[in-house]
Amino acid sequence: MRTAIDGKILATSFSFMLMLAFLVLNGMVNDWGRLTGGVTNLIDFFHQSLWPPDWSVLEPQVYPVCTARAPFEFTCSTAWIGVIETIKIAFVSTVFGMALSLPLSLSAARNLSPKWLSYSSRFILSAFRSLPSLIWAIFFVILIGLGPLSGTLAMTVYTVGYLGKLQYEAIEGLTKTPLEAADAMGLTKIETALNVVIPESANDLISHAIFMFEYNFRSGTIIGIVGAGGIGYYIDLYLRFLQYDKVVAYLLIIFMVVLIIDFFSIYARSFFNEEDDLRRPSWSEVFLGIVRSADATDDFSDGL
Amino acid sequence: MQSESGLNKPLLVLRDVSIGYDSSLSLVNIPNLEVFPGEIVVIAGPSGIGKSTLLRTIAGLVSPISGVLEVCGCILPESPPRGNLGYIPQKLGLVRHASVRHNVELGARAGVKSRKERQVRSKEAIEIMGLSEKSTEPIRRLSGGQQRRVATARTLAQRPKLILADEFLSELDEETLASVLDAVTNYVRESNAALIVVEHDISRAKMMADKLLVIDDGRVNPFIKGTKAMEVNV
Ligand SMILES: Nc1ncnc2c1ncn2[C@@H]1O[C@H](COP(=O)(O)OP(=O)(O)O)[C@@H](O)[C@H]1O
Ligand SMILES: [Mg+2]
Repeated sequence: MRTAIDGKILATSFSFMLMLAFLVLNGMVNDWGRLTGGVTNLIDFFHQSLWPPDWSVLEPQVYPVCTARAPFEFTCSTAWIGVIETIKIAFVSTVFGMALSLPLSLSAARNLSPKWLSYSSRFILSAFRSLPSLIWAIFFVILIGLGPLSGTLAMTVYTVGYLGKLQYEAIEGLTKTPLEAADAMGLTKIETALNVVIPESANDLISHAIFMFEYNFRSGTIIGIVGAGGIGYYIDLYLRFLQYDKVVAYLLIIFMVVLIIDFFSIYARSFFNEEDDLRRPSWSEVFLGIVRSADATDDFSDGL
Repeated sequence: MQSESGLNKPLLVLRDVSIGYDSSLSLVNIPNLEVFPGEIVVIAGPSGIGKSTLLRTIAGLVSPISGVLEVCGCILPESPPRGNLGYIPQKLGLVRHASVRHNVELGARAGVKSRKERQVRSKEAIEIMGLSEKSTEPIRRLSGGQQRRVATARTLAQRPKLILADEFLSELDEETLASVLDAVTNYVRESNAALIVVEHDISRAKMMADKLLVIDDGRVNPFIKGTKAMEVNV
């Protein structure tokens, strides 16, 4: 922050934004009555087509023949196969994305790189980020055909753009004295990046990578709709056949998996919070979302 | 001990230097200053006057408003040869999440290529600073005084020709202070390096200085060579 934060000004500006948002919304909607119609439609639709979910999606597929034994037949189900494939795509694209985004974000950080390099790296990162992974998936499906490879490439590209931005912002947030000390000693930029910048921002980098995996799983469910692999393929399939009760079952399963990954993500990231290494949150705290974040407490008074 | 015979080239030369962050607001003016190998120069003066800024300027981190600075034979903005300049910033500039050893090896890295030699130097410097037991601890778990000693060890492991030390004795208890000061002065004398220290505590300043620079109202008082404390007008 350039200036100190003033609570009153903050509250006033936000109230103004809120009012503006209502006005803009009102301008876009010409018949508010449709809202009540929507609710009745939803209730009808819910009773007729959505509920109860069709849990047969958890049963083994007819073909290929399931070889898993007794309690593990569910591993031959479309739901399981789809979820696992989505997790695989998310994992691979997060790791590859990180390998590519790190050098780009180091080049993009203004406290490390000359202007020309920082601006050109930022340009690449924002270009990758400007299209959602679904659009990248369509692009790669056209380019190299259907299947998880297209999905993986699409999500890798998006990951580079998104993760790279998170990373260079974390790097630019570092206090500048360690960089100055390294500079004065005569260390090269690359030595400084490897030995000062990466260890100093490692907590943020790891925490962002875990968040990115979680994000990629969530967005990975959608790219199957364009044939780029994962559980989205099955959702799309049953949407076409109007079997909404099966679609609901998939959505509930995705919801559960997202919750599980979310919890693991919050818990894992809590290990990489500033100063918090003496105290881990309990599972109940994670569940209720009350994990203390201490990332904003580092000294702002640098350089005085 | 002192090498001001003119046979030795000065490690630092300042001519008509004016420093500050804003060209219209010069903080300190220094008409002339030469620092020779083996010398210890102390810069004293009230807080906020620009002592740290002066060191940052010599370190090449802030451009001077005007004047010529020659550091280890190179005229700024050309930077001195790798490893020649050691810098202990007032805020230390340690990698807080990394270990003591990692930080000290960073200095050694600037000073020497061979990995083996780096480790030897780091181990020695950590020992001299009394931090052997802490060498695998992350910096953020150390006390203020311990962190300051890590920064000093980093510079000792580097073995620079010219050391810029900004309040490097703060937060140390008397006993530790004496041993840190001893280690650094010994290094300077033995290796014929030069040391420029910023020190707000005037009695400590007088204790270690060969030359004392008192900054006052943005001008440097005439410095006194081979200082005996009494000669300084504060
Ligand atoms: N990065 C900076 N940008 C602009 N002004 C600064 C910066 N750092 C310090 N100053 C100002 O420069 C003056 C001298 O600061 P400093 O050199 O740290 O003083 P000292 O070390 O003598 O206490 C102070 O008024 C301070 O506010
Ligand atoms: Mg200072």
